[in-house]
Amino acid sequence: MREPEAMSGHSAPVMIVGAGHSGVAVAAGLRSRGWEGGILLLDAEKETPYERPPLSKELLKDGAPDESAVLRKEKFYEDKRIDRLRGITAEAIDRKGATVLLSDGSRHAYHRLVIATGSRARPLTVPGAGLAGVQSLRTRDDALELKRLLVRGARVAIIGAGYIGLEVAAAASAKACEVTVLEFQDRVMSRVTSAPVSRHFEQLHEQHGVRFVFGAAVTAIEGDGRAERVVTADGTVFHADVVLAGIGVLPNQELAADAGLECRDGILVDGDGRTSDPAIYATGDATRFTSPVDGASQRLECIQNAQAQADRVAAHITGQQAAVPEIPWFWTVQHGVRLQTAGVRHPDDDVIVRGEPARGRFSVVYLRDGRLAAVDTVAGLTDFRPARKLIAHGARIDPALAADPGIPLTDAILDDANSPGPNPADAAPATARI
Amino acid sequence: MSNNKLTVIDREGSTHHLEWEPDQTLMEALRDNDLSVLASCGGTASCATCHVFVEKEVFDTLGERSEDELELLVEAEEYRECGSRLSCQLDFSRHLNGATVILAPEE
Ligand SMILES: Cc1cc2nc3c(=O)[nH]c(=O)nc-3n(C[C@H](O)[C@H](O)[C@H](O)COP(=O)(O)OP(=O)(O)OC[C@H]3O[C@@H](n4cnc5c(N)ncnc54)[C@H](O)[C@@H]3O)c2cc1C
Ligand code: FES
Repeated sequence: MREPEAMSGHSAPVMIVGAGHSGVAVAAGLRSRGWEGGILLLDAEKETPYERPPLSKELLKDGAPDESAVLRKEKFYEDKRIDRLRGITAEAIDRKGATVLLSDGSRHAYHRLVIATGSRARPLTVPGAGLAGVQSLRTRDDALELKRLLVRGARVAIIGAGYIGLEVAAAASAKACEVTVLEFQDRVMSRVTSAPVSRHFEQLHEQHGVRFVFGAAVTAIEGDGRAERVVTADGTVFHADVVLAGIGVLPNQELAADAGLECRDGILVDGDGRTSDPAIYATGDATRFTSPVDGASQRLECIQNAQAQADRVAAHITGQQAAVPEIPWFWTVQHGVRLQTAGVRHPDDDVIVRGEPARGRFSVVYLRDGRLAAVDTVAGLTDFRPARKLIAHGARIDPALAADPGIPLTDAILDDANSPGPNPADAAPATARI
Repeated sequence: MSNNKLTVIDREGSTHHLEWEPDQTLMEALRDNDLSVLASCGGTASCATCHVFVEKEVFDTLGERSEDELELLVEAEEYRECGSRLSCQLDFSRHLNGATVILAPEE
């Protein structure tokens, strides 16, 4: 354990760049861990920092209020003496002088700097991508603009069948839009889940009138000042009033990279969120790090990771013990059906379907070298908590027992769950917790 | 509406007195008062890190638990049939004025 850091007495504040899920969690975590020095939170956006998950879910619904839930009440920042600068971005870091240049030309010193700049929607690069009516979804403004465009009867083309594309497809079909999803792969959510789950959600969407086109490579968007048509590589033309690109995100790493911090598709950080400069941390969507569970290099785009990393940074800055790393988890809700995943699946994991997808509720268990690596739960959370625990312990699972939903997952364990595996990374799970 | 007063017993057994403001869920009140509630799903009944115990008399005055809430709670090691709640699913309620809430162990 390091020497505990003095909780106050530093003339410069901890400066946090970005007031999203992770940045706000660092600020709150510093105070709840007793940090008494200054905290300066830079916010590129002007409103009270807000939750992103509802932007593609509740907020798009008819009659839903335009305000999405805030992360913390306005008063919280006052009460906790968290200073905020709004509508201002960080432009450059002077590491030697420990200062940051802001977009208003001012320069501020930091005691510690936390880069929590998140990610941005990967831009479409085809001709016509700049036409009006072509949208991506990252901010509340994006969501409100999309909500305005999703009117009854509108033809909506969604490019990319990932979480966000599918959540918007569900919202748009609920508003009686005509929805077509164009996906390059041969199934939905192919990056994050297995074929049985993909098929289940495809059917669910189709029952709600959503049309899928797989193997579709969009080559252009055409229209007279506004998007009117989407063209794919085989020459097919799809008429559309609204085009949503949901083709992934890019980490906002430029601020860090320009300052010479190590980046590789994400700002590289260690288990405590430290960058290659000991005075600078980074957290959330912007970062890449080594999984404490399986040793893989990963960039995670989820609330769980944004929060957990933030807590580790707050712990490290205050010289305290951080919580044991969590098993990452994810969720999405489409047409009211929840898919919740514990752990990170790999494409070559063994796939065991647990239950009857036709019944609408089932799980899928992923085994890697016989050990539980991830679990998808569809429309039921019974397996979720046990799954996180068993993944953390690297439990060996009997595939036949795991396939029987009548048997609790914990009863499908084969032997001593803590026995070390054949490679060192396998031994690590014993230290992780749910 | 005025605030509720709450007594909270944390995982170390220490007692805290706090005020719960009407526009908050119980989870938000706990979190904003620096109690250690991770709330990693932001209050959408997904993570179960906001699990609390309430007294039976209070429990009985609260609404039914949703299926998601119940499924997450039942799998907790210290699940209490007439006491376990996800605090993010509890809106401000007069019935909880003066109540004692115990933070469930972390898992
Ligand atoms: C529509 C949508 C739905 C989602 N749904 C889910 C879900 O259901 N479940 C889930 O787990 N995850 C979901 N996510 C992902 C989740 O929101 C992110 O993982 C999370 O927001 C990451 O937090 P963060 O703090 O790293 O980044 P962000 O929340 O993106 O915050 C980064 C902030 O930094 C600001 N910023 C960037 N550069 C600068 C700069 N130079 N100076 C100052 N400020 C800067 C940005 O404007 C932004 O406000 C969703 C995301 C979106 C967009
Ligand atoms: S905050 Fe996640 S379940 Fe309550």
